[in-house]
Amino acid sequence: MIEFKDVHASYDAALPILKGVSFAVERGEFVAFVGTNGAGKSTTMRLVNGLLKPDSGQVLVDGVPTTELKTSEFARTVGFLFQNPDRQICCNTVREELLFGFKALGMEGPEADARVDALIEDFGFDPNEDPFLMNRGARQLLALASIVVLAPPVVVLDEPTTGLDYRECVKVMDIVGRMHEGGATVIMVCHDMEVVADYAERCIVMSDGAVVDDGPTFEVLRNRATLERASLVPPQIVDVSLELTRLVPRLAGTAVAKANTVDEMAAAIVAASVGSVDEGGRR
Amino acid sequence: MIEIKDFAFQYREGTRPVVSGINLTIPDGAFVGITGAAGSGKSTLTYALNGIVPHCYPGDFYGSVVVDGLDTCETALTDLSRVVGSVCQDVDSQFVTSVVEDEVLYGLENFAVPRDQMEGRVAQALADMGIPDLRDRVISSLSGGQKQKVAIASILAMRPKVLVLDEPTAELDPASSRSVFELLAAYAREHGTTVVVVEQKIALLSQYADLLVIVDEGRIRFADAPADVLEHADELKRIGVNCPRSTTLMNRLRASGAYAGPAVRTVQEACEALVEVVA
Repeated sequence: MIEFKDVHASYDAALPILKGVSFAVERGEFVAFVGTNGAGKSTTMRLVNGLLKPDSGQVLVDGVPTTELKTSEFARTVGFLFQNPDRQICCNTVREELLFGFKALGMEGPEADARVDALIEDFGFDPNEDPFLMNRGARQLLALASIVVLAPPVVVLDEPTTGLDYRECVKVMDIVGRMHEGGATVIMVCHDMEVVADYAERCIVMSDGAVVDDGPTFEVLRNRATLERASLVPPQIVDVSLELTRLVPRLAGTAVAKANTVDEMAAAIVAASVGSVDEGGRR
Repeated sequence: MIEIKDFAFQYREGTRPVVSGINLTIPDGAFVGITGAAGSGKSTLTYALNGIVPHCYPGDFYGSVVVDGLDTCETALTDLSRVVGSVCQDVDSQFVTSVVEDEVLYGLENFAVPRDQMEGRVAQALADMGIPDLRDRVISSLSGGQKQKVAIASILAMRPKVLVLDEPTAELDPASSRSVFELLAAYAREHGTTVVVVEQKIALLSQYADLLVIVDEGRIRFADAPADVLEHADELKRIGVNCPRSTTLMNRLRASGAYAGPAVRTVQEACEALVEVVA
């Protein structure tokens, strides 16, 4: 439903940012974009939600080129969470903020009120609180809630956990996870590789304005050539798996070489320490 | 040396102290990591070191904070800034010029550093952060990681005895974050500078800090070598601090009897221990 066809994009013609990006994201996928600062990830997100149009190539949303869509039409399909919630929040109370999207789309009414009230209760917000007096994590939650309430089929998140502490990070990502379970397509830029490992099913790696790898998250994050090429630091358990199988070659065929989570790795290590056991349990 | 005794602070508009009962001694040249949940008081603690509290944010200040012999409550900010260099969380709000070289020169000019020393100081600060090639670049054209290094270099040029950084890698990718910590640690070792970093990325703090301070609800909950703090994984999680997963893995193996060593801080330490476990 979101398709990039050889997209070139820039903010200044002399400085190309995207240099021929192609990928397709199907309905209901959870995709993480990873890569170093300046790789072109945020620019890609701006193209998805129509804030930026391609210099050449095509960005298609449900088969329609973004150059033929109005911003209001995007807003119904694509919910966008900015990296900095202060770029998004514009109202004086939590309730007004949550209603703002409905107003902008001309969808005010009893149903909108009911959805906002239900969400306020679900998130535990004070409806009359001034968003600008809330702390960073709470503002991020409010910005996310203002997207959740509109229930767009596609959610684009630009570094949703930056600047949040552990508990806030878990809270934000659980909500994103729930939206995904509810059928939303989630496209996320994220530097926290543990979050990527925990939530994303597919990982697209960008480097210097191009896609350098694209596949199931752990296949991508276990690819040494990709990690090196895009200067990625893998999630810690993947890092342990890669390093340990290098240090102890006999573990190459065991569960240690495939463990991606703490639970999997702990079980694999216990099995490996009992004896040399392969995946089929053969000693 | 930094000596914090019975420190408590309540912002003028606040209803209760944001930090209280803080006692901490930081020896010269230490690399200190401070972390804790949002709103735990860790930033206020650093504001007390660089004098922002109480000089910029007034309020009720109790106890004492002494940095290199200067009582931060009694010392004017201009005098304190010669000893304590600070790097803001949002580096864009720190920049006052548009070109890297001018930015590094700005502090030197304000401190009236003799003209014949300026060139050496600028070149050295840029070299210390590994960015001599950025000298003539326009700051707005730089990446997040590059800007962070410019912000730190512009403070290092003033050669502070203490460097305070508030979430210096919040917006950086993992490789750039590691690079900033590598450069800071190398600089601190070479110059004997005391470095105090507030950071959410506990994996980085655990790897680079000599002293890891965990702040919870305005009080210091732990202040010890990282490996000793990470022994308290369950307690840390309860107060909103998640251990690195390599630490969690080894703690799990210890609980099941497969590993008997101390808590590990890094993937490398975990792998070294695991080689023994599977031997």
